[in-house]
Amino acid sequence: MPPVLEVREAVKRFGGVAAVNRVSLSLEPGRVYGLIGPNGSGKTTLFNCITGVDRVDEGEVWFKGRRIDRLKPHRIFHLGMGRTFQVIRVFPELTALENLLVVTTSGYEEARRRARDLLGLVKLERLADEFAGNLSYGQQKLVELARVLMTDPDLILLDEPAAGVNRTLLNELLDAVRRLRDQGKTVLLVEHDMKVVMGLCETVFVLDHGEKLAEGAPGVIQADERVIEAYFGR
Amino acid sequence: MGVLITPTMIGQVVISGLLAGSLYALVALGLGLIFGVMRVLNVAHGPLMMLGAYTTFWLFHWWGFNPYLSLLITMPLLFLVGVVLQHFLVRRVVDAPELSSLLLTFGVSIALVNLAQLAFTSDLRSVEFLTGSFIAGPYALSKPRLAACAFAVAITIGAFVFLRSTRLGKAVRAVSQSREVAQVCGIDVQRIHLLAFGIGSALAAAGGTLVAVMVAIQPEMGQVYTFKSFLVIVLGGAGNYPGALLGGLLLGLVEQLASLFLTTQVNEAVAYVLLVLVLLIRPTGLLKGRV
Amino acid sequence: MKRGLPIALALAAIGLTLYPVQATGYGIRVMLQLFMWIALAQSWNLISGLTGYVSFGHVAFFGTGAYASSLLIVKAGWPWPLACLGGGVVAAGVALVIGWPCLRLKGPYFAIAMLGLNEVLRVIASYYEGLTGGGNGLSLPTLYASVQIYYAMGLVAAAVTLVAYVILTSRFGLRLMTIREDEVAAESMGIDTLRYKLYAFLLSAIGPGIVGGLSARDQGYIEPISVFPLIMTITMIVMVLFGGKGTIWGPVLGATVLFAFQEAVWARFIYLHQLLFGAIIVAVVLLMPRGILGVLQQKYNLPRTI
Repeated sequence: MPPVLEVREAVKRFGGVAAVNRVSLSLEPGRVYGLIGPNGSGKTTLFNCITGVDRVDEGEVWFKGRRIDRLKPHRIFHLGMGRTFQVIRVFPELTALENLLVVTTSGYEEARRRARDLLGLVKLERLADEFAGNLSYGQQKLVELARVLMTDPDLILLDEPAAGVNRTLLNELLDAVRRLRDQGKTVLLVEHDMKVVMGLCETVFVLDHGEKLAEGAPGVIQADERVIEAYFGR
Repeated sequence: MGVLITPTMIGQVVISGLLAGSLYALVALGLGLIFGVMRVLNVAHGPLMMLGAYTTFWLFHWWGFNPYLSLLITMPLLFLVGVVLQHFLVRRVVDAPELSSLLLTFGVSIALVNLAQLAFTSDLRSVEFLTGSFIAGPYALSKPRLAACAFAVAITIGAFVFLRSTRLGKAVRAVSQSREVAQVCGIDVQRIHLLAFGIGSALAAAGGTLVAVMVAIQPEMGQVYTFKSFLVIVLGGAGNYPGALLGGLLLGLVEQLASLFLTTQVNEAVAYVLLVLVLLIRPTGLLKGRV
Repeated sequence: MKRGLPIALALAAIGLTLYPVQATGYGIRVMLQLFMWIALAQSWNLISGLTGYVSFGHVAFFGTGAYASSLLIVKAGWPWPLACLGGGVVAAGVALVIGWPCLRLKGPYFAIAMLGLNEVLRVIASYYEGLTGGGNGLSLPTLYASVQIYYAMGLVAAAVTLVAYVILTSRFGLRLMTIREDEVAAESMGIDTLRYKLYAFLLSAIGPGIVGGLSARDQGYIEPISVFPLIMTITMIVMVLFGGKGTIWGPVLGATVLFAFQEAVWARFIYLHQLLFGAIIVAVVLLMPRGILGVLQQKYNLPRTI
């Protein structure tokens, strides 16, 4: 089966510094991948390059057999890729429901139904008409997740989904991710919480200083000396 | 067009362009400092320059004060004005969406211009101090323009020495690059903001003083400089201080060159067209800046 | 409250329609101008209030409409209602040409670009003397049509307000607002921000274009300085900020209050007046950035369609 996402030798520089330096990865459909690395290793930048928010200086990004690294974010989104952000970016002056509605181009009634269904899935139906800015941190995170799912994307990028979230909510999030995988979707998540990564991901990529350090099953990565060194000291 | 362009004309244009450009660079550096340090577009920059020009005028008018000497008064005076503006007004919108600081300085600029109208009336004033030109070979160099250029260069060099070599100057550059990191390094960001706005205003005032000898002084005189300073910042790259110099000189050159082919009226549109072109083709500026 | 609003509106509409029957010429002129300001403020609101992209040169569309429609009347012999609509279309065209490159820019850069637009258009109007009469201005054939223009202005003001209402209650409006809230997120969520900004910008130019034409027709004479005055942009902005940007009735409220203020102060003390407007802008930005209706909206949890 062809990979759903391919990053080939991506390079992204800011000023003189390469935030992402010749990173390559390949994602098979229907699996959950993890992207880990110490702070500042380039994870969010890589996400931004994949989703089109930043443009790679060198290298290519291919999605479902199409080259996407020159496309604008909204086009990439409509090709079937969704993402959440490290710092929550719901639209605060829109209600939870409206946050989901703006995303799709399908008919109003159909969109409303789907939005309500998704909010139900994350157990937020009763807050549908509340302004997103008034919701709690955890609730906003769920709204962001529901929003990402509105257009039924094939690839979902989650940037630190577990950050700042309590145990119960976290379990719901993890269940949601597993359900997505079972539906044949691909998930790539950036995480610092090792338990989440180990429990959820089938393959883990490790970034350090913008370069891919290692790649493999969680157990293997955990024992890799280079990875330990990257995290705990040089 | 039927006009023969001789090398002498080109030479004259280049010289005039550089002379005018040095003034643009000076004023734009002030704007660039404020934008680089605080990400605030100071729409009131032109009016601050205007106040400098008026101060020079009144000093000259009442006490025969040498306009170039009055730099010693206008710069500190407008520095204080800038500090006051920053402390009481601008400070509150530095963290707000950029729209707010834009509107705020817009309001301030309207207020300043009309205060000037009320206080000084819209009668045209002038400072008759230095007139005529040096003739050097085939070139005519306007004396006030030469003097303005000389002082502009001196002040600009002073500003760069400050930025490069003094601790405060380095702190300013640090805050321009990253406020958070500067804070973590123990820099009093609030004080740097005050300083930056003060220096920016002082540089604008210097521009006003130097220009007072050359043009008619009236309350609206600064508006066109606000826009051109923006243009220079865009040309040179936001936050790129040496870029502001190059941008200023470039603007001066382009304007003078254009005047060979266009009537004076249309010349005013040159700056604008240049701006749109640069914004479209290379919004980060001709040198690398941060958008 | 909900029942009351349509009734109040209906009464106001009837009152305003019957007003010219027993009003003085001066009274009609005043109301005509008030309608004009409402149309201008509401139009500015469509781009700047909803998307957060501050347009500093919006009066450029007013002047463009004034010249376009006047030229259509003088050179092509069009009847004035049609010519004014033509003015609106031309203004929208200019908005397309300017907006397509400039709306790609981030907020502050867009503002800078708009600042210069006004000056450029004024220069162009002065330059093409053969066409526009240059600095000498352009005279229109004499016509006493204040009452008709009163109704025309009123219609435009009502139309723009209606457009604002329709937008604000639609998904299109929601998408515009996401641009204001978080443009990067909006773009990442599949919203083609450039296209939406462009739509809003075009819509916001039509009103000023038509109204510029009507105003020119009413005055009977235009010149570059009179139709591209900076004070007009300033006034539009103050009105919307004061009343409440991003709301429907905010621009109407702001236009009414500040127009009354203007009638009282401007005629006699023009610089004081402008000075006060500058001060009001500063005060509103610092103390009441959402404007009067915005503050009320937040405090009493009023619906978005306020």
